[in-house]
Amino acid sequence: MSVPRGAVHAKWIVGKVIGTKMQKTAKVRVTRLVLDPYLLKFFNKRKTYFAHDPLQQCVVGDIVLLKALPERRSKHVKHELAEIVFKVGNVIDPITGKPCAGTRFLENLSDSENLTEADTTFLSEKLQELKVCSTDK
Amino acid sequence: MPMKGRFPIRRTLQYLSQGDVIFKSSVKVMTVNYNTAGERSEGARKFVFFNIPQIQYKNPWVQIMLFRNMTPSPFLRFYLDNGEQVLVDVEDKTNKEITEHIKKILGKSKETLEKEEKERKKLSHPATFGPKKYHLRECMCEIEGQVPCPAFVPLPKEMRGKYKAAMKNEA
Repeated sequence: MSVPRGAVHAKWIVGKVIGTKMQKTAKVRVTRLVLDPYLLKFFNKRKTYFAHDPLQQCVVGDIVLLKALPERRSKHVKHELAEIVFKVGNVIDPITGKPCAGTRFLENLSDSENLTEADTTFLSEKLQELKVCSTDK
Repeated sequence: MPMKGRFPIRRTLQYLSQGDVIFKSSVKVMTVNYNTAGERSEGARKFVFFNIPQIQYKNPWVQIMLFRNMTPSPFLRFYLDNGEQVLVDVEDKTNKEITEHIKKILGKSKETLEKEEKERKKLSHPATFGPKKYHLRECMCEIEGQVPCPAFVPLPKEMRGKYKAAMKNEA
């Protein structure tokens, strides 16, 4: 029986780093929604995985994407770090690509500083055209 | 006595099984980033409140993670098996629009679902009888046109072992 990839069931998982005290290994907590059979409500169930992080670039609190290794690296390490999705303290909004913190952007979104003179005059002319004059009949 | 909670209908099996988004087998992780305040994230909030239980019920092997108030704009992100990531912007969308959109891009089509249903039906034969777990009927007496169960209708004299033995002894 050949297992092409992953000695483990979970091939790709997303979790939060909770410990980096081990050398080149990150302890990642993964939460899954599990249905309570009586309440019929979903609750987060946590599980910790160990991931191989060769460059030791994870900090506690990062949200990371782990990829299953083809075979186990050691007794507990079966995944490796594929990508840091959100770096703690340095979250980049994927839609705009700008750094943000909570619900506000850290840098000014409008690009009015980069516009040249010609651009500003052109834009103001366009705005004049759009203006609806109430005095016209 | 009514159910507890704000919209307790979300906690019924009938509601959960009404979810129609079934992801393709390549979808492994679904991440929802939304904000708890703000009008533009309203659709995302409703999506998380009403539709995520349905989706998770129908796709028990997809990991769903929710992130609150991390970025100003709400979005969904899917991580597929081949390493691909799908980013879905859900700003200013209602929860119905969001479910329709993800059903269209990453959901199994109706034909695939029907095909799978047919395959599953092929495995079990409806005419056989046996344990309730695998068959529709448990005993031959339940099948129409067969001899009814002697617990409810006594067997005719000729079929009973007592009569047959007596006949044999006589002859």
